[in-house]
Amino acid sequence: MSVIDIITAILLIAGAVFFLAGTVGLLRFPDIYTRLHALTKADNVGLGLIIAGLTLQAESLAVVGKLLLIWWLVLLAGASVAHLIAVVAQQRGIKPWKR
Amino acid sequence: MSTLYIAIALFLLLTLVVGLWRILRGPTAADRMLAAQLFGTTAVSCLLLLAQALEQPPLRDVALVFALLAVVTAVAFVRRAWTAEQ
Amino acid sequence: MVTSITFSAVSVRTILFAILWWVVTEAAINSWYIGVPVVVFATWVSLVLLPSFSLSLYGILRFMPFFLWHSLRGGVDVAWRALHPRLAISPDMVDYHLRLPAGLPRVFMINTVSLLPGTLSAEMDENYLHLHVLDKTNDFSKDLAIIEQRVADLFALNLSDY
Repeated sequence: MSVIDIITAILLIAGAVFFLAGTVGLLRFPDIYTRLHALTKADNVGLGLIIAGLTLQAESLAVVGKLLLIWWLVLLAGASVAHLIAVVAQQRGIKPWKR
Repeated sequence: MSTLYIAIALFLLLTLVVGLWRILRGPTAADRMLAAQLFGTTAVSCLLLLAQALEQPPLRDVALVFALLAVVTAVAFVRRAWTAEQ
Repeated sequence: MVTSITFSAVSVRTILFAILWWVVTEAAINSWYIGVPVVVFATWVSLVLLPSFSLSLYGILRFMPFFLWHSLRGGVDVAWRALHPRLAISPDMVDYHLRLPAGLPRVFMINTVSLLPGTLSAEMDENYLHLHVLDKTNDFSKDLAIIEQRVADLFALNLSDY
């Protein structure tokens, strides 16, 4: 294993941990708004780290570009969807959970 | 390295199975949609890992399409399904 | 010295679409038979649909590391709260007065806020952004002011004008 392989391995494992945290958040958080936090942040960082790890192994610059394009699309989707769902949830009178 | 890619992809699939619980529980349709959204991101990661592990570059294009479809699905859900139900 | 890119210019858009095609086809030479007409068509459609706007090069260079670092922080923050045995959250709704002009800069701000630590854009009216925050004990107005400043820099805007 080269140094680059080791860095890739670290990034991929870190990414997987964020996915796990995102899933745990989705299961444990008490309402739709807090679950949206888990979804938009943990998963995007998880995917970002996995993509960072894979770009180190990419065979060409175009592949790096494609991986970054995928990340950007997922970020855009995640943020827009979170906003849309939060707006509609409020319109429907879903009250945020409070401690 | 291939073993690591496959292992991580399998781990992600496992988190997906755990996430199914939220789909079962709900309570609202939006909660289920969120879980489905999470599965989309997980699927994109798995496909990218498999593309690398199996040396199948076309799987990256599948991941790209998944990323694009995620937006369409969610918008369709918010604008149509969620307002129609109840 | 070039300090900003204007996205009204046909040349800038053509180059961006050409790069996109090159990336999507993973640099396959044969694909340009289809690629050239597609790039021309995409440029034309974008000129019709997307009004021109300017980005500052300096703003882009400052925004990228800022965004990467803070989204990582956001991920760690939400992961820690989710895994915490007693679920370390005390959510609330807060309002923030936005100075950014309507349109692309505002949309960009709304999306960025949702990806950065502890905040989620919930609704936008006239000039107020309603946010859902994971922990109300944090001082959000300071963080949000920094994000707003960075977005303004990105679009080469001066916030005191608004």
